[in-house]
Amino acid sequence: MKIAVCIKQTPDTEARILVAPSGCSIEEAGLTWIISPHDESALEQALQIRDRCQGRVTAVALGPARVKQALREALAMGADEALHLPCDAMPADAAVTAAALAQALAPRTFDLILTGEQSIDQAGSQVPQRLAVALGWPCVTAVEGLEVDGNSVNAERPREQAEETVRFELPAVVGINRRIGEPRYPSFRGIMKAKRKPIGVAVVTLDEEAMVRVRMRAPKAKKQGVVGAYGSGIEDTVAALLAGAAKV
Amino acid sequence: MAEILVIEEAVTFAAGDGTHPVTRELCHAADDIARRTGHEWASLEVALPEALLRDPAAFGEAIAEASRDSWLVMMGSTSLGRDVMARAAGLLQVPLAQDCTAYSVTDGSPTFTRPLYGGKVLVDVQLKSRPMLATFRPRALPAFDGVARVLKHVACRSPTSPVVQVDVCAARVGRTLGVTEADVVVSGGRGMVGPDNWHILEELVSVLGPRATLACSRPVSDEGWRPRAEHVGQTGQAIAPDVYIACGISGAIQHVAGITGSKCIIAINRDADAPIFKVADYGIVGDLFEVVPALTQAIRAFGDS
Ligand SMILES: Cc1cc2nc3c(=O)[nH]c(=O)nc-3n(C[C@H](O)[C@H](O)[C@H](O)COP(=O)(O)OP(=O)(O)OC[C@H]3O[C@@H](n4cnc5c(N)ncnc54)[C@H](O)[C@@H]3O)c2cc1C
Ligand SMILES: Nc1ncnc2c1ncn2[C@@H]1O[C@H](COP(=O)(O)O)[C@@H](O)[C@H]1O
Repeated sequence: MKIAVCIKQTPDTEARILVAPSGCSIEEAGLTWIISPHDESALEQALQIRDRCQGRVTAVALGPARVKQALREALAMGADEALHLPCDAMPADAAVTAAALAQALAPRTFDLILTGEQSIDQAGSQVPQRLAVALGWPCVTAVEGLEVDGNSVNAERPREQAEETVRFELPAVVGINRRIGEPRYPSFRGIMKAKRKPIGVAVVTLDEEAMVRVRMRAPKAKKQGVVGAYGSGIEDTVAALLAGAAKV
Repeated sequence: MAEILVIEEAVTFAAGDGTHPVTRELCHAADDIARRTGHEWASLEVALPEALLRDPAAFGEAIAEASRDSWLVMMGSTSLGRDVMARAAGLLQVPLAQDCTAYSVTDGSPTFTRPLYGGKVLVDVQLKSRPMLATFRPRALPAFDGVARVLKHVACRSPTSPVVQVDVCAARVGRTLGVTEADVVVSGGRGMVGPDNWHILEELVSVLGPRATLACSRPVSDEGWRPRAEHVGQTGQAIAPDVYIACGISGAIQHVAGITGSKCIIAINRDADAPIFKVADYGIVGDLFEVVPALTQAIRAFGDS
């Protein structure tokens, strides 16, 4: 089984994000970078499937040189190989990302492509479906349970209204939600081994972005709320407010 | 087909079948944008065989087919909405502004606002191809109070599309009013200590009326104290209720990412330094096992007087 996992490098969820003077990107200097959390869980699933069914796991990342660090981390977790798709700046439009990933993945005949359900920074929620359209494969996303048996797959996909189970055949694209399970930590041995593994390169051309950023800005600052100890009377204010909201 | 289309999502509620409430909010936006740009609008019901309604590929294909000549197509940013619109966008080879929370109209064309980096930054985007595709977060827009023209698109599925078989194995466990739809959300964190204490939040919900529901922080759903559908935050649902009440939740940045759309945030926490108080409009420092029942009691008293 040949499995590709698309990993995006994103700023740490704790990071303070500042808009650059251009107004169309963020300040990258000084940021701590991570593998987008859903993608990390997708990688964990890929490693588990490989360990059960044999095969190879390839971690794939599109982006500037900094994303090689994310690929190194994927190797340290246990990916067999890493593929870097270099570009000058991370695309802002998931359509462009998906088209670039498709260029690199289509000729490499994978059986299963795993992605995160959504990248934690841009929150496009588009790459898995777009990739599947480009490849002509089925796609199931927001997956929180995955069972692969030969060519048949069973996936659990919760919707707001119902718990769905989805059955389909490989090859397929599957978008994973973090809730499927936390990823493993890389072992010391894994980290040492990853240092020696080569990172492959695939050259791709990026489409022009048709989603244009007019302006990035910080949301309006929230005004300081009223905080008081229980018993100071604050609870009466809150109760009155809630009674109003409930229209009792 | 109309130039501006609102895609309806059929949903099943405990009370019966209907369209998702976000549809009325999209109709409001469609009506407003139509007026300001001289377009006509309608809402679109996609008629698919029952077995395919839950298949994003078939639904997305139907949207792509129906909207090829449209100018703007909008759907709710629900888990199905995001999925089918991404599929449609892929088929139409156009960009998609996903999970928008606002829009504006300048020089006859719309600009869409989306939260990035878990809401730490907002971006305004314009779409340079047609049709323009966008999904909107439930409760981000006011609801339409007029009557929409409803079109029906009967879809047949192209035999070349890949097949996924969707089995609905169970109705969602937990409460019938979803976290994204409720006016008032009462949410519990690790401060609730265990799954057996939730009755105090249930009682608060019940005095807050039929438009109130329960939510939780991620550790709570990870531990299985509450169903995962109730988990809000950066890796869970993003919600925008009128009132959000955080009980025993520290206010980690990944949690706050999901609740910043709330019009009013109330926090109950015994730690005066808990970060949740930084984003709260009202904060009560105290033991939730004392404060929550007292609030329930006081609200009930308002009702009785
Ligand atoms: C990549 C990533 C993604 C994440 N995504 C999410 C997400 O989507 N949603 C999410 O919620 N979290 C998410 N988290 C986890 C997040 O970082 C926090 O760990 C989590 O939100 C903490 O949950 P909590 O507030 O319930 O628990 P805690 O942080 O343990 O807080 C419990 C609070 O309860 C208070 N308390 C205890 N007892 C009482 C009492 N008797 N009365 C009053 N107050 C009391 C304490 O003072 C404390 O402030 C994510 C983390 C990561 C790394
Ligand atoms: N630059 C990238 N490189 C590799 N994979 C990516 C990249 N951007 C997005 N993805 C994958 O696509 C998923 C969904 O991204 P998005 O559509 O941007 O929310 C992510 O979780 C990743 O698995």
